[in-house]
Amino acid sequence: MPSEPAPSTNESTFLLSALRENIRLDGRALDAYRPISLTFGSEYGTADVRLGKTRVLAKIACEVTTPYPDRKFDGIFTINTELSPLGSPAFEVGRQDTTELLLSRVLEKTIRRSGALDTESLCIVAGQKCFHLKATLHVLDHDGNLVDASCLALVAALLHFRRQDIEVKGEDVTIFDVREREPIRLTIQHRPFCVSFSYYHNGEVMVQDATLLEEQCRQGEVVVSMNRFGEVAQIAKYGGAPVDGLSVLSCTTAALERVKGFDRMVTEALKADEARRDEGGLMAELSAENERPTGSMLVGSEN
Amino acid sequence: MASSTILLPGETVPHSQLPESKKGTLTLGPNLRHLPQAPPASISILPTSSGLLQSDAKKIALWLDTPHARYAPSVGDLVVAQVHHSSTETYHVMLTPQTPYALLGQLAFEGANKKTRPKLEAGDSVYARVKAAGRGEDVEIECVSPNSGKADGMGPLKGGTVFNVSPAFARRLMMGPGKGGFVVLEELGEKLKFEVAVGRNGRVWVESGSVRATVAVGRLLVGCDEGGWGVEEQRREVRRAVREV
Amino acid sequence: MPLDSSSYSIAQLSTQAAADGSSYLEMGLTKIICTVHGPRESPTRSGSSSQSPGAHIETSISIAGFSGTDRKRHGRNDKRTQEMQHTISSAFSSTLFTHLYPHSTITISLHVLSQDGSLLAACLNAATLALVDAGVPMSDYVVACTTGSTASYAGDGEEADPLLDLNGLEEQELPFLTVGTSGGEDKVNVLIMETRVQVGRLEAMISVGLDGCRQIRGMLDRVVREHGERVLEARVA
Repeated sequence: MPSEPAPSTNESTFLLSALRENIRLDGRALDAYRPISLTFGSEYGTADVRLGKTRVLAKIACEVTTPYPDRKFDGIFTINTELSPLGSPAFEVGRQDTTELLLSRVLEKTIRRSGALDTESLCIVAGQKCFHLKATLHVLDHDGNLVDASCLALVAALLHFRRQDIEVKGEDVTIFDVREREPIRLTIQHRPFCVSFSYYHNGEVMVQDATLLEEQCRQGEVVVSMNRFGEVAQIAKYGGAPVDGLSVLSCTTAALERVKGFDRMVTEALKADEARRDEGGLMAELSAENERPTGSMLVGSEN
Repeated sequence: MASSTILLPGETVPHSQLPESKKGTLTLGPNLRHLPQAPPASISILPTSSGLLQSDAKKIALWLDTPHARYAPSVGDLVVAQVHHSSTETYHVMLTPQTPYALLGQLAFEGANKKTRPKLEAGDSVYARVKAAGRGEDVEIECVSPNSGKADGMGPLKGGTVFNVSPAFARRLMMGPGKGGFVVLEELGEKLKFEVAVGRNGRVWVESGSVRATVAVGRLLVGCDEGGWGVEEQRREVRRAVREV
Repeated sequence: MPLDSSSYSIAQLSTQAAADGSSYLEMGLTKIICTVHGPRESPTRSGSSSQSPGAHIETSISIAGFSGTDRKRHGRNDKRTQEMQHTISSAFSSTLFTHLYPHSTITISLHVLSQDGSLLAACLNAATLALVDAGVPMSDYVVACTTGSTASYAGDGEEADPLLDLNGLEEQELPFLTVGTSGGEDKVNVLIMETRVQVGRLEAMISVGLDGCRQIRGMLDRVVREHGERVLEARVA
């Protein structure tokens, strides 16, 4: 059973004494992130996030299935996290460990439970046909703070994704190929992002965007997910050393600032990507041809 | 010294690259293999990995520099190892993660006997020399020079911290002033007071008494490794780092 | 906001004779039996000579099929349950003196007989009692409760009062969080929130939660002391 090798005593004691003086080993400020890069793939719905040496790839795929019998008017949305040995030799194929459990739970709560994606818009014919949206996260390199990077990649990929257009006439459903009709964006209701805080010295030192070494030495973590309007989607502090109630609240304030930055970054990256695809303004022509009332894609949910 | 000959496994070493020397035997460094059965007049040196061919005319040596390869222990290497656990007579130490532990005798320290041997806990670091590393046997390391019985700078590393660099960088760093193309440590040594132990396994231990200076040294080393700085750039970065400390 | 403690909460210690420590806890209609085994030697796993400096805490939660309103089989691989198990383990690993028991395991088994809200909080409280009964040294009780907010959006008026200790129906309708404390007042050990809420509401929710924890702490303390007295009386007699 491989596991991340524990850091040496020299490393952990030095890290803690450095944090006492508010110094991080890579020279960042305590609340600073490593350089973030967000790029989109050539296909719709692929987002690649790099956070220092951590790298996560999110990919969205879509297919048509029957909806769950107890949720006739909703499409299906699943999030799958892949922690393979690609990301770190400590990850094993097929064995679920705590890192993966917590990652998938946080993403589930942040994006699915908070209703970031309008699943009703994925319905085609109520009770019979709906889209099944599958989001898969691949951790390509693990150097700490998987949660923030994954959430960012996933939200960006959802915003980037376009599904095939459909037309419903009575019982007949036509699904148009991307070449026939310009694919359609998903209905995203809000954009939640995760910000994790690692703390040391009984909560006196809070650190954002911890590296793997910092994660191994921490006393505990607080993961806050929120959108830029200040709505908290989830908070998770799984045990660890107890901290002041107030310092948890200060996390949410810091998270709000950070989330606003993430939101801006994603918007800009999407705009840049669109500009890149829209060379010569051809896209504008295409979408003008296809313009039609948006109601037609919600036929299933109306009854 | 720097060459631009890239070799891939299975290729042959070109004649022109062999160090010219009338006397003395050619020493082969890492990633090169001699094939004694090869027909005469053909080149019988085979690269076993891909990398840059390096040669040293003075020492009549030839080796292949593989910048990002995993560290493979060979006898005589100085390494920074981390104690994982101990058994009755040996410490089991980690040279690189996810590889079998190397063995360090509990008495393989300077002047150590049953009573005076250093007590190491799991997680402690030592600076040691690879004593044995062969096929099919455990890697053994020691903290005492086999000739003099002295520590020669080896032994437990107290305080400070360890930074990870690539094994190739560590090797070039150990070549001494200027030779490996790195002047960071020398430049820094003029401005700051610090201790450093470079391990061939890609781990560098730094201690300087002050957290800020230690971090500065470590960041310069890591930056130098990852950024591939030239000599001028190294000088500039050192000056900047020293100003900040 | 006082808890309706008279009819509300029933707690007992040493309910299971076979376990090293056990407890039975009712918080409203949420009913839990907790047993603790250990600290005992870790089963040796070949290959991994994990030299952990302290005891390892293992938690398993089994939710009975009849515990909810509709009969449902709860698999052990349910991620929500696994997350709760992880939360309980790590909440106690900072409170118990695990360093006293190297190479050992403490097993906390929680059996949920009936669930009606505040499940995680009840599990934490029951586990505290069982660990006290087992005599595992700890720095403080871990006590937890839930708080909810009656309005999820900021515009709905500031007078919306936070609720303390939610039942199952309330949990479905309102945004809520579970807060657990240990190691002194206002020290948050566990904080889990899964529903969307305005950031401005959090402060009030957490402070009401901390207040609730204080009351539950008093309640658990009373139970432990009464149990202790009974044990002593039995010895004397």
